[in-house]
Amino acid sequence: MKPTTVGVIIVVGFFAVVGVRPASAQVDLSGMWAPIFHEDQIERVPGPEIGDYSGLPINDAARMRADSWMSSLLTLPEHQCKPHPSTYGFRGVGNLRITAEVDRATQATIKLNTHIQWQEQEREIWMDGRPHPPEYAAHTWQGFSTGRWDGNVLVVTTTHLKAGWIRRNGLLITDHATMTERFIRHGNYLTHIYMIEDPSYLTEPLIKTNGFALTLNPAMPPYPCHPAVEVPHDKGEVPHYLPGENPFLGEYANKNNLPPQEVRGGAETALPESIKPGFKLQATQSPKPRAQGPEPRAQAQDVKSLHVQGKVWMLVGNGINAAVQIGEEGVLIVDTMTDTQADKLIAEVRKIAGDKPIRWIINTHAHPDHTGGNAKVAEAGESVVGGNFAAQVGQAAANSAQIIAHENVMKRLVAPRGNAKPATGLMLPTDTFFTEENELYFNGEAIQILFQPDAHTDGDVIVFFRKSDVVVAGDVFNTLSFPVIDESGSLNGIVASLNRILDITVPRDKQEGGTYVIPGHGRLTDEADVVEYRDMMTIIRDRLVDAIKKGKTLEQVKAAGLLRDYEGRYGATQGTWTTDRFLEAAYRSLK
Amino acid sequence: MRRRVVIAVMVAWAVSLAPSLGAQRGQGPAPPVAPPTPQAASPIDVTGYWVSIVTEDWRWRMVTPPKGDVASVPLNAEGTKIANSWDPATDGSCLAYGAAGLMRIPTRLHITWENERTIKIETDAGQQTRRLMFDKTQATPAQRTLQGFSLAEWEVAGGGRGAAQAPRTGNLKVATTMMSGGWLRRNGVPYSENAALTEYFDRFAAPNGDEWLVVTTIVSDAKYLNQDFVTSTHFKKEPNGTKWAPAACKS
Repeated sequence: MKPTTVGVIIVVGFFAVVGVRPASAQVDLSGMWAPIFHEDQIERVPGPEIGDYSGLPINDAARMRADSWMSSLLTLPEHQCKPHPSTYGFRGVGNLRITAEVDRATQATIKLNTHIQWQEQEREIWMDGRPHPPEYAAHTWQGFSTGRWDGNVLVVTTTHLKAGWIRRNGLLITDHATMTERFIRHGNYLTHIYMIEDPSYLTEPLIKTNGFALTLNPAMPPYPCHPAVEVPHDKGEVPHYLPGENPFLGEYANKNNLPPQEVRGGAETALPESIKPGFKLQATQSPKPRAQGPEPRAQAQDVKSLHVQGKVWMLVGNGINAAVQIGEEGVLIVDTMTDTQADKLIAEVRKIAGDKPIRWIINTHAHPDHTGGNAKVAEAGESVVGGNFAAQVGQAAANSAQIIAHENVMKRLVAPRGNAKPATGLMLPTDTFFTEENELYFNGEAIQILFQPDAHTDGDVIVFFRKSDVVVAGDVFNTLSFPVIDESGSLNGIVASLNRILDITVPRDKQEGGTYVIPGHGRLTDEADVVEYRDMMTIIRDRLVDAIKKGKTLEQVKAAGLLRDYEGRYGATQGTWTTDRFLEAAYRSLK
Repeated sequence: MRRRVVIAVMVAWAVSLAPSLGAQRGQGPAPPVAPPTPQAASPIDVTGYWVSIVTEDWRWRMVTPPKGDVASVPLNAEGTKIANSWDPATDGSCLAYGAAGLMRIPTRLHITWENERTIKIETDAGQQTRRLMFDKTQATPAQRTLQGFSLAEWEVAGGGRGAAQAPRTGNLKVATTMMSGGWLRRNGVPYSENAALTEYFDRFAAPNGDEWLVVTTIVSDAKYLNQDFVTSTHFKKEPNGTKWAPAACKS
């Protein structure tokens, strides 16, 4: 076939394809849009009043969370530069700029960018059909958004959100929330409809709308933000109201002569009849914690890897996390998962590190879901042995990787509680320490191994890769559930560990990115996520301390529902770590 | 070489037009076909029972706000003066149920086709009826009324190449004039008899299966407003009219 004939076929084929291609964007949303504050102006600009939850489909857990919210929280440096999440940002002040990024060759839209002035809320809406990231990927304030056209309407689906506002008076949604939006252009007006679903705090989707008007004003000044201590607080202090002690909750209804029950919110309060005489509001119950544990773990049987940054990768398998540092000197692995997962862990390490030798293992604590694979992973590695060390351990040690752990890990492994078999041989650490810190320089970066006394266990460490800027937290931080506290741990130790992590982390900008934190279980996080968890743990600790001071028994504490606002997100009624078990362990450790 | 490419492009163009050319081949002048009625041509179905879900402006919609509370409304000095002179004894007046304010009232809507060229919207709150007429030859009425004179049209999405394969969709646009004036809020926030109302009705399904109707309302009134008053109000579909609760306003 002559080249010209081939060309004819290609050109004919191209036009034939174009002739039947699906309709693409029919409307151009690009431009600068000015927000219209003709709805909820008081709430959106000066700000909502404390205790105004009217019309919102919140449950009792969300109500309790908001009741305990104290605005002084926003004076903490770690809370100051948070932008609005995309679930709220479009209601905020400042122009909205929408731009399109187009593939030069095909002229297809790759993504739409939205930018809102306040705190520089920059958002990407992917239009190229890419999938959403895996559940263990990091969450952001703006979330991960994909878009499609439904006629002239842009429909956007957003996942991977951080916990954030739905109203700036403490009404929050969790990082499990998702959002569906519709952008509809009517001439020079843009109607933005959004629906938020959150299994933890909303009984049904929350729908709201925003209006924008096209503007020729191109002003989009920058919005830098640098946090600073504005109000002195004790280290680790998290301002909040204890249950029943918020003195401002009744003000809104009293001042505006509104029915007090209706302003407490709930889906029914949005119905026209709810305000009529004789209408009885139904109690909105909190969602029941998932019976099988906080998140499905079975679906992640395979060990998968996610590059975090620098030389560090996160490994995820069956709900358990490990970390890998890869460089010219070889491979360092933090935690080895279970014995049954170890082969898959090694296979995944080989996939991302090739045949580089596994030199080091660090155990964050002694539990078998983090040390169970020690023997197999160590055996898959090799060490550089020589000098006095060779005399101590023998040349055979060169045939396996070295294992670093706090000495309490060694104690727990050789003399485990209960019926567990003592660990032997390669299962055991080769290099233990009893000080507050151990250090290592490997693959061109400093690695700090920081002991966290009496937290999840009595042998926890967090591992900080200083150049990669990644913290591996072990089980002092767990985004799937309330923290597990074993017989040697304590709630105060957990809180102290979380604050220690926050001492290390530095966000890149707007409380996002920068230092990443790999929890012992759950998704990849950054400082803001640790702050969310630290705040929760501190608030729960303060409530329990207050209850203990008042002489409340464990049973009375359980009956008081002091974890009600967090139980839907982090609690469980069945499984290895139920809400009751957490409460019992926390109470015992504080008594 | 260049000529061959030109020929190739022309062939391709011809191929791309082939279906439309084929459709005309061998046919005489097509017999006149009556355009579909507005009802038959509707790209979305707005009929049914719908209920206001008041997640916005709750304090200004669910209860009558105090005199002078005009938050969010871009009133000018004249409009503010009128709002400040409102008599609370008139609370419940039908003036709050005129076309420019009606969609913001917490209510249920019953939307039907009165005939194949007219959509009827009834509300249980205030027991009002609006008629949205697609017949643009309809004479403008001589008298102003609370609900005014509403002309409707479908705005159909698409039109680009390949649009024929996409599901037909769009929205309803309604322009209302000849209103007698009324209130944007139940506490006497005014719009004048010169106001013009433009509305867009969009319908969609939520991920959980709920059906929603969002009405974007633009009130233009140089007499009392500094700028267009723009709101968007959402209604959820109900399976039937069992919750319909008519309540009259004070005429």
